[in-house]
Amino acid sequence: MIKMLRMFFSFCNKKRKRQFYLAIVLTIIMGICEASKLPAIWWLFKNIFEGTFSINTIWQSLLIMIIPLAISCICRYASTMLQCDGGYGSTCEKRIEIAEHLRYVPMGYFNANSLGYITSVTTNTMEQLSDIATRVVMLVTTGLINTVIVVLALFFFDWRIGLVALVGVIIYLAFNTIMKHLGKKFAPIKEKADLGILSNILDYVLGISEVKSYNLYGKYSKRMDDANEYGRKVYSKAELSMIPVATIQTYITRLIGAAMTIVAIILCIQGVNDLATTMTVIIGSYIIYASLDSMGTFSTLSKIIERCVQRANEILGIKTMKITGENHETKTTDIEFKNVSFSYDKKKIIDDVSLKIKGNSKVAFVGPSGSGKTTICHLMARFWDVQEGGVFLDGKNVKDYNIDSLMDNFTFVFQNVYLFNDTIANNLKMAKENATQEEVDNALKLACCDFVYDLPQGINTVIGEGGSTLSGGELQRLSIARAILKDSKIVILDEATANVDPENEEKLMNAIDALTKNKTVIMIAHRLKTVRDCDNIFVIDEGKVVQSGKHDELMKQEGIYKRFVLDRKDAVSWKI
Amino acid sequence: MKRRGLLSILFDYASDKKRYYIVSIIAAIISVASGIIPFYFVADIITKLIDHKDVFTDYLMDIIMILVFFLIKGLFHVISTSLSHIAAFQIIKTTRKRATDSLALASLGDVKDENSGSLKNTLCERIDSTETTLAHIIPEVTSSVLCFLGTFVYLMILDWRMGLFSLIPVLIGLISYGTMTIGYGRYYKTCIDKTKILNDTAVEYINGIEVIKAFGKSESSYEKFERAAKEGASCFVEWMRNSCVSFTIAMSVAPYTLLAILPLGGILYYNGLIPINTFVICVLMSIGLIAPLINAMGHADDISKAQVIFKEIDRIVRIKQLDRPKVSKALPKDSSISIKDVSFGYKNEEVLHDINLDIKAGSQVAFVGPSGAGKSTIAKLIASLWDPNKGDIYIGGVNIKDLTLEDYNREVSYVSQNNYLFNVSIMENIRMGNLNASDEEVIDICKKCGVHDFIMNLEQGYDTVVGDSGSHLSGGERQRISIARAMMKNSKIVILDEATAYTDPENESIIQKSLAELVKGKTLIVIAHRLSTIINSDDIVLVNNGVIEAHGKHQELLDKSELYRNMWNAHIQAKDGDIND
Repeated sequence: MIKMLRMFFSFCNKKRKRQFYLAIVLTIIMGICEASKLPAIWWLFKNIFEGTFSINTIWQSLLIMIIPLAISCICRYASTMLQCDGGYGSTCEKRIEIAEHLRYVPMGYFNANSLGYITSVTTNTMEQLSDIATRVVMLVTTGLINTVIVVLALFFFDWRIGLVALVGVIIYLAFNTIMKHLGKKFAPIKEKADLGILSNILDYVLGISEVKSYNLYGKYSKRMDDANEYGRKVYSKAELSMIPVATIQTYITRLIGAAMTIVAIILCIQGVNDLATTMTVIIGSYIIYASLDSMGTFSTLSKIIERCVQRANEILGIKTMKITGENHETKTTDIEFKNVSFSYDKKKIIDDVSLKIKGNSKVAFVGPSGSGKTTICHLMARFWDVQEGGVFLDGKNVKDYNIDSLMDNFTFVFQNVYLFNDTIANNLKMAKENATQEEVDNALKLACCDFVYDLPQGINTVIGEGGSTLSGGELQRLSIARAILKDSKIVILDEATANVDPENEEKLMNAIDALTKNKTVIMIAHRLKTVRDCDNIFVIDEGKVVQSGKHDELMKQEGIYKRFVLDRKDAVSWKI
Repeated sequence: MKRRGLLSILFDYASDKKRYYIVSIIAAIISVASGIIPFYFVADIITKLIDHKDVFTDYLMDIIMILVFFLIKGLFHVISTSLSHIAAFQIIKTTRKRATDSLALASLGDVKDENSGSLKNTLCERIDSTETTLAHIIPEVTSSVLCFLGTFVYLMILDWRMGLFSLIPVLIGLISYGTMTIGYGRYYKTCIDKTKILNDTAVEYINGIEVIKAFGKSESSYEKFERAAKEGASCFVEWMRNSCVSFTIAMSVAPYTLLAILPLGGILYYNGLIPINTFVICVLMSIGLIAPLINAMGHADDISKAQVIFKEIDRIVRIKQLDRPKVSKALPKDSSISIKDVSFGYKNEEVLHDINLDIKAGSQVAFVGPSGAGKSTIAKLIASLWDPNKGDIYIGGVNIKDLTLEDYNREVSYVSQNNYLFNVSIMENIRMGNLNASDEEVIDICKKCGVHDFIMNLEQGYDTVVGDSGSHLSGGERQRISIARAMMKNSKIVILDEATAYTDPENESIIQKSLAELVKGKTLIVIAHRLSTIINSDDIVLVNNGVIEAHGKHQELLDKSELYRNMWNAHIQAKDGDIND
C-alpha cells in the first residue's frame, strides 16, 4: 500500500504531493471523528444501565456524534477538493511535461510507431490515470486509518480488548503481505501470458488479410488458441490459489470479532467491566471488521498506477539533446562530415564517414536499403547527434546552432506527409506566417495544386474533414507547396515518394522541380534516372561511403553502382 | 442493435459455464445467510449479559455457533468466488475467440475500416479488464444486496420502527446525492468537450511534431497544447467544486445509521416501547447495514464499464460476415475465372460498374489503368476480400459464394505490396502457406524463390523472428519472404497486386526472376504500374473509371486505345532503364 502511494507520489510534483499529504492528514481527522460513535454509544448505555437515563442523555449522545460529524464533513470537503485538484492537476502537468520533453527529443526518434505510442500515453493513459489519481489516496488510506483509530479508541475502554484487536489487525495485515507475495509469484507468468495473447492478437489484426487467405482462423489458428488457453489457465490458477487465502483473511476479521466478544464476556462476568463498556466493545468489534473489510487489496489499482507511471516515465526517459545554440544566418550551404560515426541501439549505422557537399550543388545518396543513406541525410539536419566526429553546415557544427535557426535551412520531402487538421491556407502559412495571398497562390501553382481552387471552400477547405478527402498525391503536392513557401536553401528529397502512378508522377516531378530550383539538393535516390544529372553521387554500403563521383565516372568502375544500374535494367526489362 | 443488459450478454458468452454462475449465486446466498445468522447468537449473548448470567459455559454454545456459521460462510464464499472466476476466464477466452473468428469471416473492407489499434485494445486489454467485474460482480453484488436486505428484514422483525429509522440517513444521503445532478448535463458536456479538444490537440501536436520542429513552430504549438491540457483539467475541478457540498454530505451521512438509530431508539426505550437487549442488538446490526449497499453501488461503475466493453465486442462479433455456406456446394473444375455483371462500391460510392470478364485457366492477365480506376478493387474481389454488391464471380465454374472460405482460399493466393509477416520465425511464417509442410519443404521452396541465401546469411537463419521489432529486415526482404510464403501455398490462381512496387532494384530483379519460374502453369493476375513488365501478357485489361475500357494484347491495345497509348508513352519517358540512351 505504502509502495503504491510512493509510486504515485513519485509521479507528482511538490505542490501536488503537499496537497495529497494534507488530504491524508484530513483523512486521519475524519477517522478520529468517525470513532466518536463509540463514546456516543457508551454514554447512552452507561446511563441506561446505571438508571440515570433521561431525554437529556439522548441529546448528549447525539451531540457527541453531530459535532464530530460536522468537523468530518468539513474535512471531507477539503480533502475531496484537494484530491480532485491534485489528481487532475498532476496528470495535466505530466502531459505538459511530456509535450515539453518532446521538444528536445531528437527528430530521428520519431516514427509512426513511437508517435502512436506517445499519443496513446498522452491521451488514453493519462485519462485513465486522472480518473484514479483523484481517488487513490482516499481509497487506499481510509480503511487503514479508520481501523487504527478504532483500535486505539478501544484501548480507552479496556486495554485488554484493545490488545486483542491490535493483535488481530496485525495478523490481518500479515496476510495482506502473504497475498502480495502470492500475487508476485504469479506476476511473471501472467505477464508472459498477456504478452503471448497481445502479440497474437496484434498479428491477427494487422495480418487479417493473411489470416483470411491462408485459412488461419477457426480451428487452424492453433497458435492463438494456445495463447488464449494458456492465459485462461494461468489466470484461473493464480486467482484460485488466492481465493482461499483471501477467505482466510476475512475469516480472521471475524475471529478477531469473536475473540473480542469472548474477552468482553469474561471481563464482564468477572465484574471487571460494567455492562455499558461490554456492549460498547462488542459493537466496537463489529465496527472494526466493517472498516477492515473496506480496506481491500487494491491489486488492480496498483497495477494500473504502475503501468501508467511506467509509460509516462518511458517517454520522459527518452534522451534529449541541447537545442539552444546560436542563431546563425548561413552564408553558404556547404555541408561537411568529418569522421562521423553514429550508432543506434548499439548497432553501428554510420561508420567513420567524411564527405563534402558544396553549396548549390545537386547530390545523391545511393545504396541498398539499410545501408545508412537515409541516416546520413538525417544527420545533416541533426535528427540525431553523432557519437563521433562532427557535421558542419557553413563551417559551423550543427550542434552549435539554435535548432530553429538550423531548421530554417532545410526542407524535407519525405514519404509520410503530415498536414494539420486545419485549412489549406493555414497549413501553408505554417511555413511563412505573413505570406501574402499572392505568395500562397504562387506556391500552389508551382506545386501543381490547381485542384485546390476546384474545392467548394477553396484554400479555406479544412484538410481531413469529411468530404474534403484529398488523394495521397494531392496531399503530397500540398506539402511541397508548403515547402516552396518556406523557401529554404537546402532540400532533402526521399525519392521513394516518386513511386506513384505515371499521371501523378508527372505533376509531382514538376512540383519537385519548382521546389529544388536553385537550391542545394540532396536526394536519397531509389531511381537511377534522376541520379544521372547529379553533380556528385555517394554510394553508401554498410554505413560507409564506398564510391563517389559522377554517373559516368562510376559506370567505369566495377562496384555496387554499376551492378545496381545493371540490375535495374534487368528489372525494368523483365516481362511475364 | 438491440439493447441488451450485461447479464444476458454474459449468459450468451458463458455458454457451457452457465451452470457455474448459477451454483456460484446459490453459494453466495448461503454464504450471506450464514453471515447474518450469528446476529441471533450475539443477541442471545447480549440478553444473557444483561440478565447477569455469570457462568462462562452459558455463553459457550453461542460462541461456538457463531464460529461455525462464520466457517460455513467462508466455505461457501470460496465456492462462490472460485466458480465465478473459472467462469469469468472461460468467458474471456470464448469471447476473444468468437471475436477473432468473426473478423476472419467478415469482409476485409469492414475489418480494415476498424482502427487496428483499438481492435487490439478491445481484444486484449479491454477484455481482460472485465475480469474483475465478471468474476466478482455475480457473487459480490448478489451477496452485498442480499446482505443488506437480509439484515434489514431481520432488523424489521426485531423491531420494525428501528428498521425504518435505520433508513433515515440513507434517505438524507440520497436526497443530497440527487442535488448533485443539478447542472450535471452542462458540466458533463463542458468536460467532454474540453477532453476532446485536449485529445485532438495532443494528437496533432505529437503526430505533427516533426513538421512543427521542421518549421520552427514548437513554441506556439506547445503553448496551444499547454492551454488545452490546463483547461482539460480545470473543467473537472470546477465541476467537482460545484457538487462537492452535496457529495460530502451524501458520503458522510448515508452510512451513518447510528445517527438515527441511537437517539430515536433511545426515545423508544425511554417510553418503554423497546427492551434494552433489542435496542443493543439493533445498534449492532445497523453498523454493518449500509456498507454492503455502498459496496454494491461501487460496482455499478464497473458494471457499466464492462457493459460498454461487451457491447463493443458484441458489435465485432456481429460484423456482417461474408455470405458463405458451411460446406461447399461444388468444387472448382479448373483455374479459370469468370466475372459476371459485377458492381461494387464502398459506403455509398460505386467504384466498379458492371464488370464482365473471362480469364482462361492457366493464362496470364494484367490489369492496368490510372490510379483509382478500380483495377486493384477487381483483384480484391477475385481474392474474395470483399463481396460484390451486384453480380457474381466464378472460379472453375463455381460461384465463389457457393464455396466455403476455406476451400476458396486453397485455390487463390493474393500477394500485395504490403504483406504482413507474423511475429514468429521465418520458418513458421513461410509454413503458414501450408501448415503441413516439413522444414525441408519450406527450405526447398525458399531455394526456388531465391530467398534461401539471404535467410542463411541472417544470424539466426530460418529461426530469425520477424516482428516489427527485433529484426532488421528491409521492406524488400520482407516482400521476398511473403512471396515465398505465397508460393508455399501452391494455389492454382495467383494474384500479384503491385507485389514489387516498393522494393529496391536489387531485390526487385531477384523477385521477378524467381516469380517467373514459380507461376508457370498457374492462372496469374498481375497489377503493375510499370507497363513494360506486362507487355507479354495473354490479355491486358485496361480499367478506367470503374469499367473495363478495352482489353487485348499489348499491340492490339496500342492500336485501339488512346488511353493505353498515352500511358505507354508516359511510361517510356519516365522509365528508369534509359540511363544508357
